[in-house]
Amino acid sequence: MSVVGPLSRRCWRLLLLIVVSVLPGLAACAPMDVAPVRTPTPPQVIREPSRAGGKLVYGLTLSPSGIDPHINASAELGIPLTSVYDTLIYRIPGSTPNDGKQFVAGLAESWDMSDDGLTYTFRLRRDVTFHDGTPFNAEAVRANLERIVNPDTQSQKAIFLLGPFASVEVIDEYTVAMHLSAPYAPLLDGLAQVYLGMASPTALARWGVDYQFHQVGTGPFKFVEYVPNDHLTLIRNDDYNWGPALYDHAGPAYLDEIEFRFFADPAGRAFALEAGDAGVMGELPPFDAARLRQDDRFGIMPVAIPGQPLGLMLNTRRPPLDDGRVRQALLLATDRATITQAIFGGESSPAYGPLTAVTFGYDPLLAQRYPYSRDEAAALLKEAGWSDADGDGVRERDGQPLILDAILMTWGSVPEVAQLVQSQWAQVGVALRTETLTYPAALQAAREGNYHIIPQNFSGSDPDLLWAYYYSNQPFNWSKVSDTTLDNLLDKGRNTPDPAQRAELYAQAQQLIMELALLIPIRDPVNLNAASARVAGLHFDAHGWFPLLHDVYVREQ
Amino acid sequence: MIIYVIRRMLAALAVLWGVASVAFLLLHVLPGDPAEAILAGSGASSAEIAQIRRQLGLADPLLVQYGRYLLNTLEGDLGRSFFSNRPVMLTIVEQLPSTLELATAALAVAVALGLSLGILAALRAGAWIDRAVMGVAVLGVSVPVFWSGLLLIWIFSVSLNWLPATGTGGWQHLVMPAAVLGLVGAGPIARLVRASLLTVLRTDYIILARAKGLPEAIVVGRHALRNAIIPSIALIGLQAGFLLGGTVVTEVVFARPGLGRLVIDAILWKDLPIVQGVVLLIAAIYVVINLSVDLVSLALDPRLRQ
Repeated sequence: MSVVGPLSRRCWRLLLLIVVSVLPGLAACAPMDVAPVRTPTPPQVIREPSRAGGKLVYGLTLSPSGIDPHINASAELGIPLTSVYDTLIYRIPGSTPNDGKQFVAGLAESWDMSDDGLTYTFRLRRDVTFHDGTPFNAEAVRANLERIVNPDTQSQKAIFLLGPFASVEVIDEYTVAMHLSAPYAPLLDGLAQVYLGMASPTALARWGVDYQFHQVGTGPFKFVEYVPNDHLTLIRNDDYNWGPALYDHAGPAYLDEIEFRFFADPAGRAFALEAGDAGVMGELPPFDAARLRQDDRFGIMPVAIPGQPLGLMLNTRRPPLDDGRVRQALLLATDRATITQAIFGGESSPAYGPLTAVTFGYDPLLAQRYPYSRDEAAALLKEAGWSDADGDGVRERDGQPLILDAILMTWGSVPEVAQLVQSQWAQVGVALRTETLTYPAALQAAREGNYHIIPQNFSGSDPDLLWAYYYSNQPFNWSKVSDTTLDNLLDKGRNTPDPAQRAELYAQAQQLIMELALLIPIRDPVNLNAASARVAGLHFDAHGWFPLLHDVYVREQ
Repeated sequence: MIIYVIRRMLAALAVLWGVASVAFLLLHVLPGDPAEAILAGSGASSAEIAQIRRQLGLADPLLVQYGRYLLNTLEGDLGRSFFSNRPVMLTIVEQLPSTLELATAALAVAVALGLSLGILAALRAGAWIDRAVMGVAVLGVSVPVFWSGLLLIWIFSVSLNWLPATGTGGWQHLVMPAAVLGLVGAGPIARLVRASLLTVLRTDYIILARAKGLPEAIVVGRHALRNAIIPSIALIGLQAGFLLGGTVVTEVVFARPGLGRLVIDAILWKDLPIVQGVVLLIAAIYVVINLSVDLVSLALDPRLRQ
């Protein structure tokens, strides 16, 4: 693994190119003031004093229940906390397997991996202090990792990002080694996530289980207070001078204060922005975003989310979906472009595989598979023995009608998607029965296998997330697939450190998943952010959900 | 009187025990495993899910869980949220003031609006103003808060810029939520006040009062209204409880903190300790309100004291 120093001029051009290429939506929404216009200046530009000051109200959707990044799992918690914590390394937004590198230095100046892939050694910055004055060093890293893996912590996400973590070793004051029990290529991706952000050991020890309300990191903003369902406040860390090269400028952030507020009602989010109750708003409904695009007081900033698309998982154990031809027919009979346009207003793209197009290792060839074709779908169904002999519009075989059961959940416009799917499948003689359940109830039904179709949409920035959802006998393997070739590919992808080789393995895995027709991908999720035209410098990290607020400033009116 | 109050309080305790037990059982009967919901997005293994389930105490037999829950509740310990790991009591105490503020303001709007509209309609029974008032009452009950709330936000915040659209703070933040929710509560009160006032106005003693030549304001205000209001007291008590529950949607529309949002999220995610705690609290508030309503009626209506 390469040692990472300050970014060279060439790397910066590359970075610029990547940023520009992954945010194509930005070009389309001129005149747009919030677009992250990048100037190709080498390393980081000097802080512009005239931009300093001001307060930003940032609208979130849900109040996270539990915001300890080491314990809780929600994406919502990462939106504010990305500004409170630094991570050892950072993932470059939009980096692809063919780029020279995918990560830049954070709290670790450089790192390397042992030849057996079992030990990662990090050399840490020496100039970093936590917001409470505690020095950042190897002991601090050890305290953080040991807290996360302690079973009493009941970590819901961070511990899983560490994979087969075995132990942490302090080599000297600024060198720390992590030992694994098996090679684990996604480790670096995990270390670049806020869930593995470095917290002050002093504060962790002092507050224990109540740490979530007294968080102390090393990031550009300090945690002031969190009142659930009401607000979460951060103020600038004036000592901050160790930002990663992802940030546009060096030194402290611009804003004096950021207040995060929660807007659970999607219908009211655009209004809150228009009434001036918030300067930035996440997750606008697509049609509100389209309306605000026409208003030059606001800018729309769509961010494509890496991970899995909104997709319908097909239960391969339950007849008639145990027949691959029927599953393939369903894929062919689903007009994803129409669904995406009708429900998501063209703000996001149709999905073609088990990973979204901005996910590391996405295979673009998948877009050519299963083009919408009712004729081909009908032919496959007929070949599988399903035909509509009695003319009632629903095919049958041996007297059994072709009726499929879908479990729905209320998130992600799933009920609307299901309605369109239902009408499209009816045209090829497949009937769809739906039942809407709460999330825990749907999870139970999924475990028990009482469905033909169930929606799914878990985000993540490393393709290894396929492991949990497609590997044999894993609890969230909702297609119930058990395929040794697929298992082998997913195992190898997990154990192979080389990014290009990994990408090749995951390309094969994605092709196989679609060959087996384990899911019907519907659309690639997009986080539709909107901001007041006065808000400048907003950009997002590689995980799509998390804003980099260090560079944000508020323009004079 | 004292014996009556003591008897009522003992009954209230029994009610609370019943509510706590039913809430516990219903929640556990609902499908879904909170441990699974906590870990689904992380792709945990079955063993890891089982470990969290044990740590949350969900692996024990139901009876053991029930006994533990009752004992802890008696000691005043409502447990910790499965998801936030924060004490339930603290979580409720944090969210309750905002909900009480909204419910109280909405109740004030409902009572003021309901009484005045009801009286107005009764005095002008059959006239266009009566029909208009009753139309407003029906509208108030039937228009959903998520629509009327957004409409008000659009008019008064986005277009006129008079009031803040969302959040809490000064009285300005309370105007629209209280109006929207209060309108819902005002409808039934107005209808009942109108009906009972009409009945009372036809009784002999009112005819006598009028025959004596008393001014209409005294006939209605002092003589008629006193009797007409009694059925409304019970209704206002019920409305208070209803408004407390009705804050859910209002809180979401106006992005206010509060118990409503807390409990909805908790039900959807099966955060059992939170739901149990809030249900118990709401039941306790209901019981207290009911008791107060009965005591007020007792004070106002001498016939009940016999």
